[in-house]
Amino acid sequence: MPQLDFSIFPSQFFWLCVCFFSMLFIMSKIIIPRIAEMIELRREKIDGNLEKAAEIKTKAEEALEKYRNALQDATNRANQEILKTQQDLQAMIERKQSDLAAKLSSEITESEKKILNSKEKILAQVDDISSEIALSVLDKLNLSDPNFEKAVKSSLKE
Amino acid sequence: MSNPMEQFVVKPLIPLEVGGVDISFTNSALFMVLAVTVSSLLLGLCLRKRSIVPTVAQSVPEGIYEFISGLLRENVGPEGLKYFPFIFTMFLFVAFGNLLGLFPYAFTFTSHLTAVGSLSVIALLFNIAIGIKKKKIGWLRTFLPKGIPFALAPLIVPIEMISFLSKPFSLTVRLVANMTVGHIMLKIIAGFVVALGVAGVVPVLFNSCIVCFEIFIALLQAFIYTVLSCIYLGDALHEH
Repeated sequence: MPQLDFSIFPSQFFWLCVCFFSMLFIMSKIIIPRIAEMIELRREKIDGNLEKAAEIKTKAEEALEKYRNALQDATNRANQEILKTQQDLQAMIERKQSDLAAKLSSEITESEKKILNSKEKILAQVDDISSEIALSVLDKLNLSDPNFEKAVKSSLKE
Repeated sequence: MSNPMEQFVVKPLIPLEVGGVDISFTNSALFMVLAVTVSSLLLGLCLRKRSIVPTVAQSVPEGIYEFISGLLRENVGPEGLKYFPFIFTMFLFVAFGNLLGLFPYAFTFTSHLTAVGSLSVIALLFNIAIGIKKKKIGWLRTFLPKGIPFALAPLIVPIEMISFLSKPFSLTVRLVANMTVGHIMLKIIAGFVVALGVAGVVPVLFNSCIVCFEIFIALLQAFIYTVLSCIYLGDALHEH
C-alpha cells in the first residue's frame, strides 16, 4: 500500500505545511474579511432598518395619540359650545318670556285702569244723564220746578 | 486489469532535497497546491460582486461561513470564533482535497496517512498551543482531570495521554480509510468496463452512481473532520 510508505513523509509534511499555511493566509486576509464584511454590513442594515421601523412606529403612535387628543379636545369644545348655546337660548327664552309677561301685565293694568276710568266716567255721566232724563221727563210733564231739580240731584247723590 | 492501488503512488515531479531531507514536489503536493488555488479562486470569484442582498454565487461562501461559525459556536462556544480562520481553512482544504481527487487521473492527497496525518498534527499542535496559552500550566490538567485522586495518577496520566494522542490518529484514519476505499472501489469497477465489452455499460452506470455517492462522502468526511477538530478545540479550551 503506497499509503504506508513513510519515506515520503518529509515531502508530504513540508508541502502540506506550505499549502495549508498559505491557504490560511489567503483565507484570513482576503476571503474571510470579504465575507464577514458583507454579513456585518447586512446585519447593520437590517438592524438599522429595524431601528428605523421602530422609530416610525413610535412616531405613528405619537401622531395617533395627538389625533386622539385633538379629537377629544374638539368633542369637549363642541359639547361646551352646545351647552353654552343651549344655556344662551334658555336664558334668551326666559328673558323674552319675562319681558313679554311684564309687558302683558303692564298692559293689563293699564287696560284695567282705562276700564276703571271709563267706568268712573260713565258712572259720572250716568248721574247727569239720569238727572237730565228725569228733568226732561218732568219737563215733558210740565212739572218744571227748581225744587224738583234739587230733589232729583240730591236723590242721585245719595 | 490495472492495479487499483496504483493511483495512490506518490511520484516526485520536481526532485528537491534540502539538508539531506527529500522534499520533492510530488503529485500529492501538486494536488495540495491545486486545492489551495482552486478553493481560493472559486471563493474569490464568488465574492467578486458583493451586495447587501446576496447573489447566488455570493451565497455559497456566505453559507460555508455561517455553517463553520455555527459549528464553532455550538462545539466551542462564542470564544471559539477567534479560531474561525483555522477551522474554515481546514474544512475547505479537506473538502477540496477530497473533491479534486474525484476527477479522473487526479491524485487524492487526503487518502494518504502522511498528508492527513500532517494536517492532524498541525491541528494538534494548534490545540496544544491555544490550550497552553489559555490555561498556562493548568493545561497539564488535561492529563489528570480534576477530582481524581493523586494516587491514581500513574494509571490515569498514560491513559489520558494515549486518548489525547489518539484523537488526531482517529481523525486521520477515518478520513484516509474513507477516501482510499472509495477510490479503490471506483477503480475496480472501472476495470470491469473494458473487460465486459458491451455489457460494460452496467459498471459505467454503477460507477456514475458511486461517483455521486463519493461526492457526498467527500463533503461528509470533510464535515466530520471539521466537527471533530472543533470538538477537540473545545476540549482544549474548556475543562472536561
